[in-house]
Amino acid sequence: MTNGWIDIKNTDMMLIMGGNPAENHPCGFKWAIEAKLHRNAKTIVVDPRLTRTAATADMYVQIRAGSDIAFLGGMINYAILNNRIAHDYLVNYTNAAFIIKDGFKLPEDGLYSGFDAEKKTYDKSTWNYEEGGDLTGKPVVPTPVSHPAGAAKPMAPAATPPPPALPPNTAFDLSLQHPRCVFQLMKKQYERYTPEMVERITGIPQNQFLKAADLFTSVRKDGDMKKVATIIYAVGWTQHSFGTQIIRTAAMLQLLMGNVGRAGGGVNALRGHSNIQGATDMAGIFDILPGYLKMPNPNDVDLATYLKRTTPTLSKPDPWDSFNYWSNTPKFAVSFLKAMYGPAATKDNDWAFHYLPKIDRNYSWVNIWNDMYEGKIKGLFAFGMNGVMIGPDSNKNIDALKKADWLVVCEIYPDETSEFWRAPGITADDQKKINTTVYRLPGAGFAEKDGTFVNSARWLQWKNVAVPPPGEARLDQEILATIFLKVRELYQKEGGKFPDPVLNAAFPYTNPYNPSLAEVAKEVNGKALADLTDPKTNVTIKAGQQLPGFAWLKDDGTTLSGNWLYCGSWTEAGALTQRRGTDDPSGLGIYQNWAWSWPMNRRVLYNRASCDGSGKPWDPQRRQVWWDEAKQSWVGNDVPDFKADSAPKDHMGPFIMNPEGVGRLFVPLGAMADGPFPEYYEPIESPIANPLHPRQSNNPVVKRYNTDLDKYGTVEQGFNVICTTYRLTEHYHYWTKNNPMNVQLVPEPFVEVPAELADRMGIRGGEKVKVTSARSHYIAKAMVTRRIRPMKIDGKETFQIGIPIHWGFRGIAEDEGKTAKTLANQLTPTVIDPNAYTPEFKGFLVKIEKA
Amino acid sequence: MSDRKTLQTEKISGHSGASPGFGMQRDFEVCKLVDTTTCIGCKACEVACVEWNDMPFGATTFDNTYQTMPETRWNFWNLIKFNEHQREDGTIQWLMRKDQCMHCADPGCLAACPADGAIVKYTNGIVDFNQENCIGCEFCVSGCPFNIPRFNPGTKKVYKCTLCSDRVGQGLEPACIKACPTGCLKFGSKDDMKFIANERARQLKENFGMEKAGVYDPQSIGGTHVIYVLHDATDPERYGGLPKNPTIPWSYTVWKWLFKPVLGTFALFGAVGVLLHYVAVGPRRPQPEPPEKEAANGNGD
Amino acid sequence: MGTAIERFDEKARRTFDSIGRTEVYKGELLRHPVYTRVLHWMVALFFFLALFSGFGIYLPWLFRWFTPVFGGGPLSRQMHPWFGVGFVFFFFLQVLNWLAPMAWTTADTKWMRGIGKIVGGKEKLDPPDTGFFNAGQKVQFWEIVGGCLAYLITGIILWAGARSFGATAVAISYVLHDLSALVMLGGIFIHIYLSTIGEPGTFQAMTRGAVSEAWAWTFHPAWYKKVTGRDPRQAYEKARQQQSGTAPKQS
Repeated sequence: MTNGWIDIKNTDMMLIMGGNPAENHPCGFKWAIEAKLHRNAKTIVVDPRLTRTAATADMYVQIRAGSDIAFLGGMINYAILNNRIAHDYLVNYTNAAFIIKDGFKLPEDGLYSGFDAEKKTYDKSTWNYEEGGDLTGKPVVPTPVSHPAGAAKPMAPAATPPPPALPPNTAFDLSLQHPRCVFQLMKKQYERYTPEMVERITGIPQNQFLKAADLFTSVRKDGDMKKVATIIYAVGWTQHSFGTQIIRTAAMLQLLMGNVGRAGGGVNALRGHSNIQGATDMAGIFDILPGYLKMPNPNDVDLATYLKRTTPTLSKPDPWDSFNYWSNTPKFAVSFLKAMYGPAATKDNDWAFHYLPKIDRNYSWVNIWNDMYEGKIKGLFAFGMNGVMIGPDSNKNIDALKKADWLVVCEIYPDETSEFWRAPGITADDQKKINTTVYRLPGAGFAEKDGTFVNSARWLQWKNVAVPPPGEARLDQEILATIFLKVRELYQKEGGKFPDPVLNAAFPYTNPYNPSLAEVAKEVNGKALADLTDPKTNVTIKAGQQLPGFAWLKDDGTTLSGNWLYCGSWTEAGALTQRRGTDDPSGLGIYQNWAWSWPMNRRVLYNRASCDGSGKPWDPQRRQVWWDEAKQSWVGNDVPDFKADSAPKDHMGPFIMNPEGVGRLFVPLGAMADGPFPEYYEPIESPIANPLHPRQSNNPVVKRYNTDLDKYGTVEQGFNVICTTYRLTEHYHYWTKNNPMNVQLVPEPFVEVPAELADRMGIRGGEKVKVTSARSHYIAKAMVTRRIRPMKIDGKETFQIGIPIHWGFRGIAEDEGKTAKTLANQLTPTVIDPNAYTPEFKGFLVKIEKA
Repeated sequence: MSDRKTLQTEKISGHSGASPGFGMQRDFEVCKLVDTTTCIGCKACEVACVEWNDMPFGATTFDNTYQTMPETRWNFWNLIKFNEHQREDGTIQWLMRKDQCMHCADPGCLAACPADGAIVKYTNGIVDFNQENCIGCEFCVSGCPFNIPRFNPGTKKVYKCTLCSDRVGQGLEPACIKACPTGCLKFGSKDDMKFIANERARQLKENFGMEKAGVYDPQSIGGTHVIYVLHDATDPERYGGLPKNPTIPWSYTVWKWLFKPVLGTFALFGAVGVLLHYVAVGPRRPQPEPPEKEAANGNGD
Repeated sequence: MGTAIERFDEKARRTFDSIGRTEVYKGELLRHPVYTRVLHWMVALFFFLALFSGFGIYLPWLFRWFTPVFGGGPLSRQMHPWFGVGFVFFFFLQVLNWLAPMAWTTADTKWMRGIGKIVGGKEKLDPPDTGFFNAGQKVQFWEIVGGCLAYLITGIILWAGARSFGATAVAISYVLHDLSALVMLGGIFIHIYLSTIGEPGTFQAMTRGAVSEAWAWTFHPAWYKKVTGRDPRQAYEKARQQQSGTAPKQS
């Protein structure tokens, strides 16, 4: 979330799409209700199903699952055509005026410039800014054809070209008229997303689309900047083979309308678990280290190479200023290495950089299971994760586990993963052939341990233990530490290939066999390793003291911090995560003294953008931060997410994490694998060819897997119904099927079927149906409803159905024989987004019949 | 709700004369407000109700709906009713209404209940069942215009929502209110809730284009201590059978409180009548009456 | 009435007669056979059980002291319908048993016209055409038949409750059930009075089963004539003369 849950109450307009907050985030949804009650805020819900969120909306639009980019692209087109844009914001706070290199090509045929059809990747060197300063009002001079470096020129095979970099002095046109300026390119890109095209792709009738577009962009009517709109999404957007680009489209729309950085605005991801944000911050993904530092790869032969690759350099119009906060990457990285390896990390050994593992390929979730299926991975630790259930293609994952040597599952219930060998269809004879050794460890539930949750609003909130773990259950950190210490003991005894990282890992806890989470949290915050003095303020921090914030981090080994983003959460003043102050003087719901929010307790990211160029809030009613001329400083109700002493006249960009300092409508170079602007591609399994470019229907850089189990269905094969999966408010993933209260609320699995489709099939509510995809089938009772209507997709009548994911082959209903024990994710395809590696759980093809 | 003056007896069922504890302390009426336009059907209130009242879990079956069960049960007092309503333009409106005891100002259950003190209405408006006095006759079921009281075949007594009288009596809000995440449930004085509800209805009319929005507080039973804000107050039936003009059967008012005791007394007059007949007219004996001590001989032949 | 039912009744009477005994002494007439008496007392038993358990439901604030007899309020409520079923069942058998003698005749209409004199004690003897049952008894009998039907219908509705029959049906039934009970309650006082101290000599008809001939010619002259073949007036006159010849007349 750029903003926060409570901040939603400050909005005037909500677009809820790719998410179902009323059902999956009911407690957070109260703030959407607050906005309705107190600001007369309007809500537009765009979803394949009329959900409980849609039930409270002012406008509900039924969309084909997976066609979101077409809808949002159409919105961008509508906003530009009807001048519902924030002009000053656009020119000054985004890269709309930046000029893109000649040779860059928009994807009229479905491909951007630089596509390598064989490798299915792009050479992104043309996806870059042009160098050259202010071109405002100057005539457009065609650049020589040979201009683009790299791909255009054939290179001598021996010489490796230097990796393309952002130019330090970008060309720009403040009139936004240059044909290669980002704004004009964007306009051209989305001109093709006409209401007719939106209707063909999404199935939303033109008049409905126009009504929704008019309502949403009405906040920027006549260029008035007072009102704010927010976009709220969840995994309905991420779980596609182009998920990251959907979110990009939303971000572009919000930048175009000047809604980012402002109270009641932003692009807001609703995290699906209490601590998903924390998991991501602490490197729950294979290609990052804590605090979103990039993971080293084998080419990073030493720390300097790694830092050069990962530390961005300034790239902006010369007259402007840019903070480029990631330029501090070396400080964050060295402090992290000190936290990892303690005294073993010294200047002489490159702060033990060589201890860090280097990733040579994609180790994302789907690839781990694919590797296991192909016999490359032999063992798996599954902690707090029901791998068999969370798919995609559960059958493949079950088969993968059959091939593993061992499996360790730490859980609070006996789950499908630890009992994968009991999956339906595995006979007693089959079971004898499974040689996987399964170790089941009794973990502790969330109420049985302390520590912090990091919520969608980036707050670190400390929680206390409510009850002790029952029976033989142990705290997860105790289990992990015990395993670690045992492994270290083995390395100590037996040596091994490279024992140093394990032997030298810092483990400075009072009780190493059961580290206190408070100690861990303090280590993550970080401390001074030598006396530090701030030359400006003359404040001194003694060696051993907790650091008050990441501005203190050093790259000379005198500081230690497990995650620079969390630096400031546990200072000498104590655990700020445990604060429970409820004072909110501004009334904006900022609650500065409640818990602690990264970065540095800032509640709304990029909040400098809530002010105009002179530093005054766009809306005087919602004053977040502002420039105080007398103090020559940014001040406010929120902590300014900005360089505090940078005067407005310096024209420093509000988006301080980008080297440009401004928001990126166009994403240069390699940040996105599949295009600098989002382009609409069909889901891998789609009922139609892409109306924009039928010959390049899918995302060109998406890889299909090619094991014998990876099959992808087509309409020709009879898979003509679109299926999407989701959660229910009554259940929490695969846990609550073990809880009688939740089971009482929704006792059995079901399939939501449109009434018209049910009539055609001759089935009634409560009768069993069988849903089949190219991979497997799913059996459950039909919930026949009028909340999903038939759609016209590219002129063709198309039905969508929905399947909640909660049931498997272990649980109360399962044990009572009320379910067919099939898993929703047996249906889903193994295919992932090329940027975030999220599987495509939404919008795949199935057929449905009476069971 | 900061003091303990909130549970004051106003009247109790089946009881003659002054009710014990009546009028000891002055108080105000409480009210629960359910705003159906901001209810998200999350069922937190259902869970809170079951948990607070320590109810045993019951089995449910899939019934082609998100609704937990078709009707409330003796151990499930709070049920969100889900209804798919088709508007005139063909679009679907998904309605969610929290169904529970309405705590009527003129409670039909209390009127129908014959048992001494089985149903209590407190001065704060809460209508509560006192199971120790309940005889399980189920007349309350038919007296209730909202189909709320539920018979437990195990204990042979009837149960329903208490508006958490145990919590309210201690200055707390009902459990469902505490659990509601969106604030569509509110609790306070009847006057305040009516004010908030009317303001909300006005807002829906003026800012959200819901011309028929309104408040459900049926005056046919003197108002209720649970009131609804509805998108369309002209058609409460679409919210899972909310009666437009709920009434208490006349038999429970006129009959019970007037004719029953009066006619009951008349029946006793039968006893008085025969007694008077015996005294005044005297018995009729077989004729001829036999002379004293020779009665047995009187009819020989 | 079908012959099959008659046969059932007759068989029941025979069976009961073979088990029980009815002593008819000299100067007495057989009034009720064993079967009739058993039925009567079963009806009476269940009537009072239903009545007393019903009191606790009807007006607990007045009659709650009845309920402990049946194990408390809820149990009273649980048992009341079963008592009612017993009452209706046995009375149904009695109806079959008495259908013929309870038929309304012109004599009954006449009897009803003169009821004032009888109640007022002006007429010591019933009209000569008064048969096995007089019109008063028949009225009560048919009232109970009607009452039983009302009990049965309304009782089942109340028993199954509002969930089966709807609140309105229950609300109406509630009143009718009560009304039926009130009428019967009034009637039971009269019945008990007349069969005990109100008309001495009657009670034994339902205990021993026999009544005196004087009782018969006084209250049911036509029946007397039918079973003895003698004229009731003559018998009465004869008895009166016999009495007046030997002893002073009582006042």
